[in-house]
Order: sequence, then structure tokens, then C-alpha cells
Amino acid sequence: MAMKRNVCVVGVGLSDGPITPDLNQHQLIAQAFRRALTDAGMQKHEVEGLASAGYGGMHEVAVAEYLGLTPHWLESTSCGGSSFEFHIQHAYRAIQAGDVETVAVVYGNNQLSASGRTLGTGGGGGRGGPLPGPMKYEFPTGLTLVGAYAMAAQRHMYEFGTTPEQLASIAVQTREHAARNEGAMYRDLISIDDVMSSNLVADPLHKLDCCVISDGGCVVILTTQDRARDLRHKPVYIRGAAGGTTHHSINAMADMTRTAAAISGPRAFADAGIRPIDVDVFCAYDSFTYTVLVTLEDLGFVPKGEGGPFVADGNLRLGGVLPTNPDGGGLSNTHPGMRGLFLACEATRQLRGDGGASQVKGAEVAVCNGSGGWLSTQGTIVLSTEAS
Amino acid sequence: MSSPLADWSESPAWLAPIPTSDDREFWVGARNGELRIQRCGACGLHQHYARMLCSHCGADEIAFVVASGLGTIYSFTVIRKNGVPPFRERVPFVVASVQLDEPGARVLAAMPTTAIESVAIGARVRAQFRPVGDEFAFVDFALDSA
Ligand SMILES: [Zn+2]
Repeated sequence: MAMKRNVCVVGVGLSDGPITPDLNQHQLIAQAFRRALTDAGMQKHEVEGLASAGYGGMHEVAVAEYLGLTPHWLESTSCGGSSFEFHIQHAYRAIQAGDVETVAVVYGNNQLSASGRTLGTGGGGGRGGPLPGPMKYEFPTGLTLVGAYAMAAQRHMYEFGTTPEQLASIAVQTREHAARNEGAMYRDLISIDDVMSSNLVADPLHKLDCCVISDGGCVVILTTQDRARDLRHKPVYIRGAAGGTTHHSINAMADMTRTAAAISGPRAFADAGIRPIDVDVFCAYDSFTYTVLVTLEDLGFVPKGEGGPFVADGNLRLGGVLPTNPDGGGLSNTHPGMRGLFLACEATRQLRGDGGASQVKGAEVAVCNGSGGWLSTQGTIVLSTEAS
Repeated sequence: MSSPLADWSESPAWLAPIPTSDDREFWVGARNGELRIQRCGACGLHQHYARMLCSHCGADEIAFVVASGLGTIYSFTVIRKNGVPPFRERVPFVVASVQLDEPGARVLAAMPTTAIESVAIGARVRAQFRPVGDEFAFVDFALDSA
């Protein structure tokens, strides 16, 4: 049997953003795809695998047609914001095994311009037709998406004494990073008081504990180490990947203080042969401040229950113990419906040393953790400047 | 000072549940003042919402039982913004995840008649029933005064 092949990211592209009222989702994808091809130094016809998560049946096939691709490898796992960590996991394995050489993972959404700022506080529900599964029971309670995360955060506060101010410090540190990113949606520095005095949306989460809603597209191209040799950039290697799910609706989350990242994290780290202490950059899915807090703990960066003091000490800052979301994250930079692919883009830029004003000095290992649904799905990938 | 509570007694027709063969028992039970959940004959644990198999052990020896209606708040939130009528007009209100006294079952429910300031994790609560349409009812919870 042949040796497993090394797999790497060779191209990343972002569309215009974060507000693009004149671009639909296919246009955003196409823009990011063109930029990722140029970034890689590859031709379109070399892309023979496509991964896409979007809305509606056969969306990935529609994307393939729009881009003029006829891929022989297709992937459309759709598990919310973490879909793209699952895509990268599956593409990594497929390339490793020799099923496919080059895969583009793509996403684009004009969430803000098409739907406004309603994602977290309604609009998700069911006029006409039966609601699926647990939603039939949850929708009539008036629970919102923000409310589901708030309920989990409230349980964490009850069990471990975590405070709203500690959660707020995550938003504050993330905004410091966004201030360094010219493309970020919000760049004015904020204080813990600013977060605490912004409107409560669902206790204990304030408006500034919630991610932005934006437009945007992103494409990441993966291929083999061999193919990467004569491409434009030094490759960034995929070293480990794993995923998992514990529930769909928040009421079915057996322990609201522990996500599937407690499963996917150790598996991905073992695959990569690294420990949490080896990680230089953490690209966290920050749909809400609590998402960062609970996944920091679940991935083993800090013991369970100690996430609050850890973030309050400023450890997420550039120069801190675990620089987190140097691009300004979903909390301040961009979050067009789903953010998982943007994590891999930022991790790649950091490991190339292309992080600009937000560069983490000497970054060699990055971890992306995507979270989807109502903390329902978690996908962890480990990237490194070294192949092994 | 406590927040005034909205009146939840009237719900728009579109909000009424559309029961299916596996959960009609729940919705009809609620209209009859009973919290009907499923109990597994193989492992003895309960579940809500209704399913074909036991979500704990996988057995198909499932039967509806009438639960005590008593439970403990596992967690809750106060919804202060919801863009969808009628909830838009009802804010602020509490939604809680209630661990029933029957092992294995948790119910997500609104607590429209309980003062927001008095809700806490660990509080004892009791089911109450709010008719919707002609045949069914929603299950809410309230602090248990007994
Ligand atoms: Zn059972």
C-alpha cells in the first residue's frame, strides 16, 4: 500500500465584504474562487473536487455549474457553521487516500443584504406546514437562536461562576483585533462596560456578545504536497481533523457546558500529534461569546470551568497565551450566515505570515474549531507550517 | 420592580401544532390537562418529544405515560428580543429547559405566568396547559407553589 499523502492548503480567497448589496451568493463564491485560484497559482480545470454548504437542495451542483466545474468528487455535508471543518476533514482524507487531487471548499452568502439582521432573533419559524422534529415544540415557546446559546451560557454561569463580564471580555479582545483589520465590519474599540450596557437580547447575552451579520464569500483550495511544490505560496499542511455532534435542538443538549468539541478536539490533536499547548493561533467559531468560552474548555486549552478567568486575563489577545481570531472574528469582522470556512482562511494567512497588522509572530500551529446549529455540531482542524 | 407579564392566552391559528402519528397523543393529552411523555419498557427511561424508538437504548418498547408534570429548571433564558409576532409583543418572557421528575425527559417550555425575576436554575416547576385551536394545547411551566 502506498504511503498516505500529505495534504495542504495552497490557495485562499475572500470576496468583497462585509456589505455587498449588489452581489448574490453565487457571485460572492465566484469572486472568492477567482481570488483563491490566483492566490494558489492554479488553473480552474485543476479543481476536480468541490465542497459546498449552502441552502436548498443540490446547491453544490448549482455552484459547480455556475463556476463551470465538472468535479468527480463532491461534498455537501450541511451541519451549520461547522460544515466547512467537516468538508476540510473529508477532503483531507480523500486527497490523502488518492481519491482526488485538488479540492475547492467554497461558501458565499448575502445574508445581511438579503435577510437583514433577523437571523438570531426570529424569522426562523414555521408559518405553514409542520415544523421538523423538535422545532415543533420549541418554536411555540418563542425561543430564538440567541436564546438557545444564552440558555447554555446561563448553565455555565450556574455551574462554574462564570460572569457576563468575563463573556464580554471575549468581545472586547476580538474587537481589538478587528481594529487592525481594514476590512472588518466594526473597528471602534469597545470596553466591557460597552458590552454590558448594550441591549440584552437573551439573558445573559447582550447585543455585543453576538456576532455581526454580514455578506461575504470565501474559498479554500487543498491539494497534495507534491502539487504544492511549484505553486505560489509555501503550503500550509492539514495535520489533523475530526468532527462530532451531540444534539440538534438546545433542549436535547445533555450537558449545556460541554460540546462535541470535547470529542473532536482530542481526536484532531491526536491525529496531528500535537497538544493544546503547542497551538499558536486559535480560530474559534464566535457566533456568540459563549461559543468561544465553551470550546476553549472543550478543546483543552483551559480546564473545564476555568474559561471565564482565562479570557478575563486577556489571554486571547495578540501576544497573549492563545491569540484568538486575529482577523476580528465573527464578533466584529464578518459572519455571513455561516463562518466556518473563514476560520481556515485566516489560519492559513497566519501560518504563511500574511496576517498583516494582526500577525501572530512566529505562528507554526493553528487550530480552527467550527460550531454549528445550537452548539450542535463541532469540527476541529489542525494546520501547521510543517508536514509532520 | 418586576416586569409586567404579557397575555399568552390567544395564539394565532398558524402557530397551532400539526400533529403526526407519533406525537398526536402528546398534543391531545395537553388539551386534557395531562403531560404525556414516552417511557421505554426496556430501560425504564423516558423521552420527550415522541419517537419510534427509545433514544436512550434503542428499544422499540415505547408507550405513552402520564407524567407528574413536576420538574426542575435545568437552565433558562429571558427572551428580550424576538422579531416574530406574536412573540414580538410578548417580550420579555422566560423560556426554560425543564428536567422532568421522570428520568430521561427534558421539556423546553415558556413560563408566561411566572414573574421573570423569580426564575432560577434548580427551581421546582409544574406543567400548565394553554389551549390552542379546538383540539390541542401547549405545555407551559410555572413555579411550583406546593
Ligand atoms: Zn430504552
